Amino acid sequence: MLATNRFVLAIYVDRSTRQWIVRDRDGNFWIVPPGEHSWEQREPFEPSDDTDLAPVPGHYRSLFQLPT
Amino acid sequence: MTAEHDRLEEARTQQKPWKKWGPYLSERQWGTVREDYSEGGDAWNYFSHDQARSRAYRWGEDGLAGISDDQQRICFAVALWNGQDPILKERLFGLTNSESNHGEDVKEYYFYLDSTPTHSYMRYLYKYPQAEFPYAKLVEKSRSRSRREFEYELLDTGVFDENRYFDVFVEYAKASPEDILIAITVHNRGPEPAELHVLPTLWFRNQWSWQGVSDRPVLRQAAGPAGQSTIQVVDPELGERFLDCLDDPALLFTENETNTERIFGVPNRTPFVKDGIHNYVVSGQVDAVNPQQTGTKAAAHYRLRVGGGQSETIRLRLSDRATTAPAAGNGRAHTSLAARFDEEFQQRRKEADEFYQAITPGTLSADEANVMRQALAGMLWSKQFYHYDVDKWLEERGSDPFKPQRKAAPRNEHWHHMYNGDVISMPDKWEYPWYAAWDLAFHILPLTLVDPDFGKQQLKLMLRERYMHPNGQIPAYEWNFGDVNPPVHAWATIFTYRLEAAQEGEGDKEWLKTCFHKLLLNFTWWVNRKDRSGRNVFEGGFLGLDNIGVFDRSAPLPTGGYLEQADGTAWMALFCQNMLEIASELAMTDPDYEDMALKFVEHFLWIASAMGHLGDDTGMWDEEDGFYYDVLRLPNGQAQRLKVRSMVGLLPLCAATYYTGDLLTQRPALAERLAWFLQSRPELRETIHDPLKPGVSGRRLASILDETRLRRVLEKMLDENEFLSEYGLRSLSRYHAEHPYIFQAQGQEYRVSYLPAESDTSMFGGNSNWRGPIWMPMNALVIRALIQYYAYYGDNFTVECPTGSGQHMNLYQVAEEIGRRLTNMFLKNSAGQRPVFGGAKKFQDDPHWRDCLLFYEYFHGDNGAGLGASHQTGWTGVIARILHLFATMSADKVLQGGKATFFELEVDPGLRAGSSQSGRAESARSVETARPR
Repeated sequence: MLATNRFVLAIYVDRSTRQWIVRDRDGNFWIVPPGEHSWEQREPFEPSDDTDLAPVPGHYRSLFQLPT
Repeated sequence: MTAEHDRLEEARTQQKPWKKWGPYLSERQWGTVREDYSEGGDAWNYFSHDQARSRAYRWGEDGLAGISDDQQRICFAVALWNGQDPILKERLFGLTNSESNHGEDVKEYYFYLDSTPTHSYMRYLYKYPQAEFPYAKLVEKSRSRSRREFEYELLDTGVFDENRYFDVFVEYAKASPEDILIAITVHNRGPEPAELHVLPTLWFRNQWSWQGVSDRPVLRQAAGPAGQSTIQVVDPELGERFLDCLDDPALLFTENETNTERIFGVPNRTPFVKDGIHNYVVSGQVDAVNPQQTGTKAAAHYRLRVGGGQSETIRLRLSDRATTAPAAGNGRAHTSLAARFDEEFQQRRKEADEFYQAITPGTLSADEANVMRQALAGMLWSKQFYHYDVDKWLEERGSDPFKPQRKAAPRNEHWHHMYNGDVISMPDKWEYPWYAAWDLAFHILPLTLVDPDFGKQQLKLMLRERYMHPNGQIPAYEWNFGDVNPPVHAWATIFTYRLEAAQEGEGDKEWLKTCFHKLLLNFTWWVNRKDRSGRNVFEGGFLGLDNIGVFDRSAPLPTGGYLEQADGTAWMALFCQNMLEIASELAMTDPDYEDMALKFVEHFLWIASAMGHLGDDTGMWDEEDGFYYDVLRLPNGQAQRLKVRSMVGLLPLCAATYYTGDLLTQRPALAERLAWFLQSRPELRETIHDPLKPGVSGRRLASILDETRLRRVLEKMLDENEFLSEYGLRSLSRYHAEHPYIFQAQGQEYRVSYLPAESDTSMFGGNSNWRGPIWMPMNALVIRALIQYYAYYGDNFTVECPTGSGQHMNLYQVAEEIGRRLTNMFLKNSAGQRPVFGGAKKFQDDPHWRDCLLFYEYFHGDNGAGLGASHQTGWTGVIARILHLFATMSADKVLQGGKATFFELEVDPGLRAGSSQSGRAESARSVETARPR
């Protein structure tokens, strides 16, 4: 049986570090810097139990050239 | 023909795009469903007024007294600062649904004083206090008030005391479709000089951030003649525009981009963000605006010091042509543009007067003409560019309709086919800045007085594939497109068709056909979805009447079971009549529609007779009371009438239409088929008016009520202790003041009492009330029905009006009487007071307030004071049609003429040439005119 476990692409803000965080469709979290080619410059992010991610509307994804 | 009529014709024939620019900017984009990306759908709190100055919108824009092009690429509005407020006044302030004791409410004073239908001339007034605007006080006081208290208003704060405020008049005059002159005149009504920052602001709706658009539009400072500053606009779609600002103000530039630092706590990508101009002016942050003088949002910064009782005027021009620079910078451009201003404004004002003279009946008094003109101004100012791509919106929320891993959306999941991006008539651009299907149908009645093409376009728009659901449902409104609103679209359609036919000599049959086909889908949706038992009795839920029922009629009943709704069934009977009228009209020239005509005759009879027959002693008609009620059908098979005397029970009276029989005369075979049906099913006619019985001039009447029941319902309706108030018909009988209706279920008491003012419950948001107040659209429906009855019964049918008064009237006179009472809400009475203003002394007595009219959502059931949304010119604008109707129609015309008499324009050139006409025109502008220098 084919199993899929895909996530909805989501953007967050980590207010404690003042960074944009993206969760990709595989469920991985990334720090995405602002500016040009931001998605290409992403770095892995590991949320901890204390991480408080605030959701950002999906239409902001164009600002980071995120994959559709 | 007036100059404005010429412009309408040029727009209609697409010679000149006179309607390309208009007041299409909303008064409120924040707190709307389309801007809401919260998990739970908390639209009011997700995007607040406080955020609005810093956060770029996704779907639309808002501003003060603003305009935009019809795709809202470029917006223009006015921002103000009195030197005291903590924020720049860029948009109207109001309370959210949970902040106020009666739901959302704008806490500002602004007035739509004038507009022509092409917006060649427009005038708006905003009243701005000189003291600090009491934002916090309004919130705190309102929160502390109970639902049994009145709302706390801006005037109550004392901020307008001693007249320490500015009247800011904003006027637009089009020299051509792409050449718009703007005058902002500031009157200091206070006793001392005061300073005001005025910032005419130009910006682009942000499309580049969300849609990956590579061509970003730009605003930049341009060289211009001496004595003026110019903003050059470069938009990849619209091309170039120029905003010329006379008197050489400083120009401030920033970007219409979210201040992510303030909103999300993440550093900004650019130092210049949406609130950059606010930060520069109010907080003195000189680096908040771009020193390169470029951006996507820009303002001219005027600092005016206006003497007590004095005024100053700012002049601007938004055009597709640059003002030519004079050779030596000698200020000639300034002089010539200033001179042109006076000339153009005078000419446009004169043309606006001529236009309104042409459509205003000569018999109206100056005050009545003023009411009619301001009602129409409100209708025209309430046009708004409405943008909402539901599929995209769902996708951006992670709720893509066809993806397996998806989040549930809090609303509108099943409306992903919708793409809205059009100028639409709004109910109220602050309180209800989204279209509402049944409101829109009522809007058409007054709008067609000034712009029949716009009315037709609006009706067709709602039926287009981008709006109507594939299953045939017409979208209700963005809070839940799937809500069920009364089916009044067909009524507005046949009304608009007949209006054009009467005025032009010929109706637009192609338009009528297109609408009819789509309306058929809608009719079928109703039959398939809202007739649970298949017995031609209908449900529908709240059906626009919010809290009128014992229970929330849209929620599962506490008793279980279901309601058979008198209003739902009556609406469907009226829908049938309207469809029959349309089909008959089309069948006159196209036999293909004969079957449809017959189908709707039959369907009307099934529905109407079901209202009378079904249930016997538990049917909707109550013989003892002489009134219709909803019937509660319980799961155990028992049934009972919910005996609330409300507009629900008056609606069956509204399902009445007379027919001339022209089609049957022309098509004997069709007449034979109809005769066979009626003769073979005599039981269908037993409990309703006999459709075979001829009336005046051989007319036939389709009506649920026979003469006996009609008289009984009228007796209640015209009783001043029940429905008939001094200012129109109440939504709930006053009888329930002393006799509340009480229903016990599951150990809980449900009670309906007469509440003439605001609602005392949170049902349906608690921001409107159908348990007593007067609602304009329902009164209009009753007036329509009374005239239909009169056209059939004639002068011999009279009733006592008011009941018990000993005074007898025919039904035309009754209709006229209701119209007169409605009109009296807005007119000055013998004491010089307007009931609509209630106890607001400033509005009643102050010469700078008393002729600035507000067209509220509904009105106090006893004293006519305005309640609810203050700028719902939307359906309350119907008062313009009522004024026009009774000034141009007469009982004789109804009896002698056909239906065309309903739409006659009173255009007696002799009358209009008289001096009384110019008096009326002056009165229509009696609010102090703000003329540019």
